[in-house]
Amino acid sequence: MTDGGPARGDAAVRSGPGRVLVAVYGVFALAATSRAGVQIATKFAEAPLAYLLSAFAAVVYIVLTLALARGSRRVALVACAIELAGVLIVGTLSLADPAAFPHATVWSRYGSGYGFVPLVLPVIGLFWLIRHRKPAS
Amino acid sequence: MTSAYSSWLIGGALLVALVGVVTAIRDRPMGPVLLAALALLEVALLVQAGMAVAAIGRVEEKATFIGYLAGTIVIPPAAVWWGRAERTRWGPGVIAVAAFTVAVMTGRLLQIWNGTTP
Repeated sequence: MTDGGPARGDAAVRSGPGRVLVAVYGVFALAATSRAGVQIATKFAEAPLAYLLSAFAAVVYIVLTLALARGSRRVALVACAIELAGVLIVGTLSLADPAAFPHATVWSRYGSGYGFVPLVLPVIGLFWLIRHRKPAS
Repeated sequence: MTSAYSSWLIGGALLVALVGVVTAIRDRPMGPVLLAALALLEVALLVQAGMAVAAIGRVEEKATFIGYLAGTIVIPPAAVWWGRAERTRWGPGVIAVAAFTVAVMTGRLLQIWNGTTP
């Protein structure tokens, strides 16, 4: 008989449109993880920085998928902020110094290889999480 | 796996995605039509996987290829499970995302298969 405390998660975050967010993040977690896995396993020496960033992005997507699915608002908020910062920083760096990013990561050129979804997704995620802030939590 | 078959598959997956979007806009949960469409899509994906594995020798990036192949097979059942759990318009919303993902992944499979990876 809990009233949806932090241990149980916030049901409002994970139901309704939240499910679509979880699905999209799940796809990206899968895509980024397998891409990073293949890159690191087969040709890590070619571009260690880019591949480590790929792996980092994958971890962020996995954390976000789990946090949204479990309704852990705070974790999801932090991860969304990191994701947004990541895509902006990596996107800018990849344009400013293409030599450092000879091989694409999820976040290269603001995620243009993925239809700019990586750029739009954290904004939608933050909007969704903030709109469903519990009053006086 | 042939280009023609996979192209039809991409078209079919996009059609399922469209039905999902329309269902979501009409504010209905997943019905028998979407369920049947996803089942059909899954069968078509299994056939594609069978054809692909039978001639895996011609593929250069085997790891990536098999990863995508496995992904396409897992996604429709997951979408069905989700569509049943979320009995609102957002169930079909998830299904639309899933079907679109299958279309994109099949497109990537086709690129790797034909060796036209950008």
